[in-house]
This record gives sequence, C-alpha cells and structure tokens, in this order.
Amino acid sequence: MKHLNSTAMVLAGTLLAINVSALEASNTPVPTHTDSTSALSAFNPAVSAIVDMYFYHEDSEEGLSHMKEEIAGFGGHGHDDEHDHDHGGKENGFNLNHIELTFSAEVDNYFKALANVAISEDGVEIEEAWAETTGLPWGFQAKAGKFFSNFGYINAQHAHAWDFSDQPLIYELSLGSHGLNDKGVQLSWLAPTPVYLLFGAEIFQGDNERMYVQEEADELPENDGPRLGVGWVKLAPFQFEKSELQLGLFGASGSHQEIHEEGGGTNYFDGVNWFAGADAVYKFDSGKAYGQGDAVVQAEYFYRNKDLDQEGGDEEVSGAQDGYYIQGTYGILPRWRTGLRWEQVGLTNEETEENVTEEFGKSWRASAMLDFRPSEFSQVRFQVSNGDYDLGDEGVENVWEAFVQLTFSIGAHGAHNF
Amino acid sequence: MFKKTGMLWLGLAATAASYAGKLNVVTTTSDLASITEVVAGDLAKVSSICSGNQDPHHLQARPKYVMMARKADLWIRIGMELEIGWEMPVIDSSRNRKIRPGSPGHLDTSKNIKKRAIPDANQLSRAMGDVHAQGNPHYLIDPENAKQVAGEIAERLGELDPKNAETYQENAAAFSSKIDEKMVGWKSAMAELDGKSVVTYHKSWLYFCEQFGVHIAIELEPKPGIPPSPKHLTRVIQTVAAEDIKIILQEPWYSTKAAQRVADKTGVRIVTAPTYTGSDPEAGDYIALIDLIVKRLTE
Repeated sequence: MKHLNSTAMVLAGTLLAINVSALEASNTPVPTHTDSTSALSAFNPAVSAIVDMYFYHEDSEEGLSHMKEEIAGFGGHGHDDEHDHDHGGKENGFNLNHIELTFSAEVDNYFKALANVAISEDGVEIEEAWAETTGLPWGFQAKAGKFFSNFGYINAQHAHAWDFSDQPLIYELSLGSHGLNDKGVQLSWLAPTPVYLLFGAEIFQGDNERMYVQEEADELPENDGPRLGVGWVKLAPFQFEKSELQLGLFGASGSHQEIHEEGGGTNYFDGVNWFAGADAVYKFDSGKAYGQGDAVVQAEYFYRNKDLDQEGGDEEVSGAQDGYYIQGTYGILPRWRTGLRWEQVGLTNEETEENVTEEFGKSWRASAMLDFRPSEFSQVRFQVSNGDYDLGDEGVENVWEAFVQLTFSIGAHGAHNF
Repeated sequence: MFKKTGMLWLGLAATAASYAGKLNVVTTTSDLASITEVVAGDLAKVSSICSGNQDPHHLQARPKYVMMARKADLWIRIGMELEIGWEMPVIDSSRNRKIRPGSPGHLDTSKNIKKRAIPDANQLSRAMGDVHAQGNPHYLIDPENAKQVAGEIAERLGELDPKNAETYQENAAAFSSKIDEKMVGWKSAMAELDGKSVVTYHKSWLYFCEQFGVHIAIELEPKPGIPPSPKHLTRVIQTVAAEDIKIILQEPWYSTKAAQRVADKTGVRIVTAPTYTGSDPEAGDYIALIDLIVKRLTE
C-alpha cells in the first residue's frame, strides 16, 4: 500500500513537473545559440566603464601636490611632463578622476586582448592596450603593447582597484601617479614546481614621468629605446584552504636624463636609474556572505638608486631613496570594510652632486578608510590621512587629507586577479 | 647552488608527471566534484576549486587555484555566469590551453539543463540585483539535473579517454539509477511539504523546490546579492503570516540574524542546510547532500 502510494506520488509529481515546465516553456524565451543577442555578445568584446570621483580636502598652505614635488630627495628635479590626466593633482573640492573604458575579448585561438582608455576632462589617454598569448606551451605567456608592469603588487592595479583612495607615497613620488605603465613586451613563466612560482621579465620603451625621463635638449644624447628592463618573481609557498600568502622580489634598471639649472648655469646629465624591492600579500577568505570577516594585509618595500654623468663635463650626480607601506583591510560588517595604512619614505635619502653628499630626512603618512559596497558595481569610501612631509630647508609640514570617493562600474562584470 | 636547486625542481616535476596516467579533473564546485568522482571512479583524480563552505559567487582568483588548474586535463564548471568573477583569471594564469572555454578540456554542464528564472531580456538591468542573464545557475541541487550532468561528464570523459568510455557511461547510468531509487524516498519524505510555501534566503533553492512541489513565497534578500533590509523583513513577516509559512531555508554561510528576527515574530522554523557537498560532515557526497537537505527540512 505504502509503495503504491509513493508510486502514485512520484507519478503525480512528475506530471506536475511536466506541467510546470510546459507552462514555464510557454512563457519564457529560452535563449539558444542561434539567439541573436547572445550569439552576438559572444563575439563582441566585453565593455565596461568605470567612473571614479571624489570630494577632497587638505589643509596645507601651498597645496599638497605642489609640496610632493618639493619633498627632500624626491623632488627638486620634478619634470612636469604634460600628462593629459594626472591622478596626483587633487584639488580641494570635487574631483572627477577619470572614466575608464575597457574593452576585452579573445582575439582568436592564440591571443586575448584588452584596451583601456582613460577619459578625463582634459583629454583621452591610452592606459592599457595589449595582447597576450593564450596557448604557449611549458607555462610561458607573452604580452605586448602598453600595460602596467607586473612588478610588486599594487603597480599592476588600476586606481579604482586600490584599497585606499590614493596610491602609496613611495610609488607616487618615485614613478608618478600612473606607476610604471609603458609600452613594451613581457614574458612570464610559471615554473613546474609544486609551489606557485612565477618569473617575469619586461622590456619597456622607458618613458616614465619621474624615474625614466628622456629630456629634449641638444646637449643630451638621444638614447634609443627600449631603455628600461624589469624583472620580478612571485612565490605562493602555502596552499591553505581559506588564505593565501604571496611573496615577491623585483628589480629594474633603465636610462634617465636630468637638466639642472643652478647658479646661473645649466648642466646636463645622462645615466642609469635602477630600483629593487620586495612585496608581500596575505588574504583571508572568511567564507561568510558579502565579504564579512575577509582580511587583506599587504606591504611593499622600494629602493631606488640614481647614477648620472654630466654631458660635456665631468660632474657626477648620484642618489638613493627608499620607502615602504603596510596596509590592512577587514570586512567589519556585510559589505563594509575598514582599513589602515602606514607608510614612510626616505629612510635612505641621500643625493651626491659635485662630490658633496647631502642627507635628507624622512616623511611619513598614516591613513584610515571605511568603505561600503552596495553591490559588486558600486562603492563609497571615506578616507582620512595625516602625514609629516620633510621639505628640506623649509622644514617639516604636517598635512591632513580627507576623501569621500564614489566609484561605480557599468557594463560587463569584472573579474580580478589575486 | 643554482644548478642543484634546478635539479631538485626537475626531480619534483618528474614525480608529478608520473601521476600523469590518470586524468586530472578540476571542478569549480564541490557538488560537481562529487558527481565526477562517481562517474570516473578510480580512473581520474578529481578536485574542486570551491570547498563546500565557500560561496562560488564570491570566490577570488588565487595562486592555489592556478596551481590546480595548471595540471588539469578537464575543467568542469556550473556555468551561467556563476563563476564569472574568478574563472578566467584562474584559467589565464594557469597557462593551460587544454582547459580554455571551447576546448575539449572545458565542460560547461549547464548546456542542456532546462534553465529557470531567465530574466526578460527587455527588462534586464543591474538594478535587479545579482541576476544572471542566462537564468538561475543553482540547477544542480535538483537530483534530476544531477543525472543529466553525470551523463554529460561521462560523455566528455569518454571523449578524452576513449578506452574507458564504456566504464564512464556505466558509472553514470548506475548513478542515475541510484538517484531514481533514492528519489522515491525523498519524494515520500518531502510529501508533507508538497504544495506548501517556504521562505529562502537566496534564490539558490529554486530548482530543488520545484522538483519537490514546494512553493517559494519570498526570499530574505530583497534582491539577489543584497542583504536583508528591515523594510524587506517586514514584508517577509507579513508574507509568512499571510501564507502560514513554517520554514525559512538558508545556506550555512549566511547569518541567521535576519531569519531569527522573522522567527521571533512568527514562530517560523529556521532550517540551515548546505547546497554543496563537503560543507557538512553528513554531506560527504551528492546523494548524502540531498539526504541531508531532505532530513533537515522534514525533521
């Protein structure tokens, strides 16, 4: 009897299910591969636009972005390359960072490509435009075009992906507001080891607004590109279920020129700028919904060294600076994160000119942020920073900064690397 | 020194290569891994990116996953954009061309699934919350769909490893008959809920509830991916009272706070049950998972 009952039940259930599905089928269009919208979108690139804006206030007298040009050891020879849009030049009040338009797709069986165009009120700039191989054997991958160097951790991230509203001081002061973003090629190799071990080598044209400058002057040689080489290695030694630690080492060397106008005379210098450093990232995935309990800790150390010779003279200019940052974020509530960042620059800070070595002091900054992500496509962030900036002869100035940042993305759903 | 380490790495690589006789299958979710294990038996090494305790919507690409993907002969995904936030960075970084979408080593098991809750293309907007244009991707929680998926996996394994194709087909068929057998018990246990209404946290129970004739009156999330708001909970409480609902069903990774608020007002019972294998000691494989859901709902 019981058996009969359940059989009847199964039969009734099946009939019901068939009925329901028949009803469902009559109401809902089921997209097939011949459906024009889905078939087309499969061949069209994924398109997204990211809008990033903020309200900013700082309390320095002469303007913090101007002060950053004067920081002892890091400024002085600032070359105001006319950059179409400058993330660094923040004005008190409302700022529209830029709109990032991204197009990406598989090119064919061999390449995938991405183009990222940054549009600001001042114009248009190509932030990224590259193609990458998808089918090289033995763990190799090659990339060519204009792209962010993958050295360290934060350099390869777009501004909207940072955990704080501004980039670490050492990056901004050494490489400028775009970081190391240049035209060139990259070859990377995922070693066949039981732990994650990735090696990368990059050759760039060598155009950077701060560390790799080629001046236009008849007195200076025209150095042919490519003029900059970068190498890095990343290691993820453990394979925990909920967390991951990645460690990295990096180094780079390239051609650099400076023009010094001092005491009525103009001196021209040409030589080599190199940097090296280390990075570490730890991420914890709590498994809870909406990012609650997730944590990220990251730190990077950056050391740079300059060696320049005078053109048409026998003077030498050399210098060395360094800096680091350490930051952490934590998901305090569903969709809410808080973060702290501590950074210093100029622990090593010296410059030698005409055989006279000058030692400069260090600067520091501390930041706290709170952000809220209503969905994966929008974010509101509040950030406060306070720092002491060593301006050499002008002394040390303390500056407070505050951000209210709004970021939203429309279009394709993004996917992010570690 | 460098030479020595190099030799050591080569040695390790050679050891790894000696396991190469077996197919290496990586699935995105643990329920897919469980079904694949049944279909492949001893003929493949199966691992899952997502453990049962992680929400596959919100995983982040990690070196660990890259290492898993690097050695895979076959990558199996749920599809329908469930893994959209992390799948391609993992596959790209793995440099494993065998498992790129469109290759024989990449299987999307949603292909022949009868998809539910496909949003109207004319009204589709992100304002609808975390909706998937191709429909609700939580189809594998319906045992009938698991049979279909087992068949697809067997077929693909057979293409990659033709000499064992028959074994895969037999295993899948055995899995299907096992499901049919178990279905009788599940249906009779679930009969008490047939035609009744429940509340779920996220729209992840749609296929399961449809299979067993259970009506989902409302979700705790106002929209998919948006946590419960006080205003929406008031609506839920009204719905629970009006429709005399007895159960709120939710996955273990969601907080029970919102459900508790509704329970305090209405006396509704909170049922926490996993949707993926491995998230509970009692849900060791796919059939045990369904057993556990049915048990939790009917105890």
